[in-house]
Amino acid sequence: MGAKRLSELMAERGFVLSDRAVQYYLRYLDDMGFTEKVGNMGRILTDYGISETESALVGDRIGFIISKLERLAFRSTFSPGTMTGDVAYNLSIVPKDRIDEVREIYDRVIAARCGFFSSYRILDSDPRVPSGHTGIMTICSITMDGIFQRKGIPVRMAFGGRLSLKNNEPERFTDLIGYRGTTIDPLQLFISAGLTSLSDVVTSGSGIALANVREVPASAEEKVKETIDQMQGCGFVFPVMMGTKVFNLAYNPYRLSIVSFSGMNFIAITVEKGIPIKTEIGAGNVPFSKIMSVN
Amino acid sequence: MIEEYLMNLPLKFVNNTIEDYAMQVTYNPREGTGTVVYNMSIVRNEDLEYSISVFKDAYRAGICVSGLVRFFKSGEKLSGYCVPDGHTAIITMCSSTLDGILLRKGVPLNPIGGGVVEIERRIPRRFTHIIMYEYTTIDPLQVLISQEITSITDVMRKGSGNILANIRQCHMEAETLIGEVMDDLAGSSFSGILDVGLPNTPALGVKVDPQYMGIVAVGGTNPMAAIKEGGIHVTTQAIKGLMDVKTMTEILDY
Repeated sequence: MGAKRLSELMAERGFVLSDRAVQYYLRYLDDMGFTEKVGNMGRILTDYGISETESALVGDRIGFIISKLERLAFRSTFSPGTMTGDVAYNLSIVPKDRIDEVREIYDRVIAARCGFFSSYRILDSDPRVPSGHTGIMTICSITMDGIFQRKGIPVRMAFGGRLSLKNNEPERFTDLIGYRGTTIDPLQLFISAGLTSLSDVVTSGSGIALANVREVPASAEEKVKETIDQMQGCGFVFPVMMGTKVFNLAYNPYRLSIVSFSGMNFIAITVEKGIPIKTEIGAGNVPFSKIMSVN
Repeated sequence: MIEEYLMNLPLKFVNNTIEDYAMQVTYNPREGTGTVVYNMSIVRNEDLEYSISVFKDAYRAGICVSGLVRFFKSGEKLSGYCVPDGHTAIITMCSSTLDGILLRKGVPLNPIGGGVVEIERRIPRRFTHIIMYEYTTIDPLQVLISQEITSITDVMRKGSGNILANIRQCHMEAETLIGEVMDDLAGSSFSGILDVGLPNTPALGVKVDPQYMGIVAVGGTNPMAAIKEGGIHVTTQAIKGLMDVKTMTEILDY
């Protein structure tokens, strides 16, 4: 990346700096070891630079996880009516020799209707998958936000939560973390803190699963229901519950809360089983037909 | 009926819990008397000795809220909870005790959040992650304890790494009172102040409201996170209850 191009890209994002100024700061970043020059091709971020982007300016990073995902929502062109267009996906990477185990537990999550979508795709050859590993694409639930927005329904991702189930019936939330008040993904926090029990959910129907809470205007209820019906016909599994007062969420007469299981339940159960898994949430957009059927 | 009512109550966000407990704190740092807020951690009996030694190291490294501790054996009860067989409960001071001390002094205060602070050669540099209390129903430090982003052991051994911390903001009008509290704490069992920010200035990178100043304290769960980094299974519940400080003893005596 060269200084001139960088200056243009920054201006597109609302940070207006002259080429000169950008050049000055790039030299400063070189001195700090965050960037390095590659011949006359421009600069790249060093590993140290990448880790700095994950640590610096904590105040500016609050709520960034969801703003970043909203970009993928906007690019999700999927139309449930025609079952065509792109959806957003998560990419997980697991060791190749454990893929059979992973497929088995993924299928169990789907059978228990605790996923967001009833299918996934195995990726063998993808430049992002290191050798000796297998990639798995699952639909990211941010796709839903994209579909709603295209229908003119304003939607806001509110919480990631732990939903407790008893005898296959969702009962209540045990914890909530709001997307706009954290620098780390709420559901990832719950997974690595060992606060899920998907294995129990898929075997006995009782346990803790991960769910998201979205809010839309209460006046959009009809339109939302219509959209959800269409999406269910395409293989989407939601909502768990919908209303102005659902489970133990606060009552708000003007906002409809849509509770749905998260695609992260696949990742949670894999972690519970002690299988190493690396996941990029919102890895990109892909045509719906590529994820449609279990292969 | 009552049970059903409680089940359907909206979930409580942590800012409410902190204020509820902080209001009940009667700890007087000069006298060393009164009640403090505690965290409870559960370890297996066979891991207790190791846990105590890590706790001591963490305390010497200055990353504990306090060296005060109390142990409950399996079968013993505290506020309705019975310690399970083969386990020991470790009671440590919670940093929301500080919010209580400030409140009692009459300092206008809002708890902001908990997160991870980067330490470089023993000097706190900045928050690298934060979870705001108003947005969570689980204590941030309870979920962050298990993230790979902490490196408390490194801070203890080499002086650099990432520890758990929390931040509250106080009105700058009360700066004199805050100064008095800091003086009182200097000679007390509470040793967890990490940074006191300037008015209208972010504290370790976290913004404060206009006319407010931030106060950063180390997280009470740091020693437990260090024990966990050593591969020991430990479960922690933060902001668990209130305890008379006189019933707690110094970790270095064990």
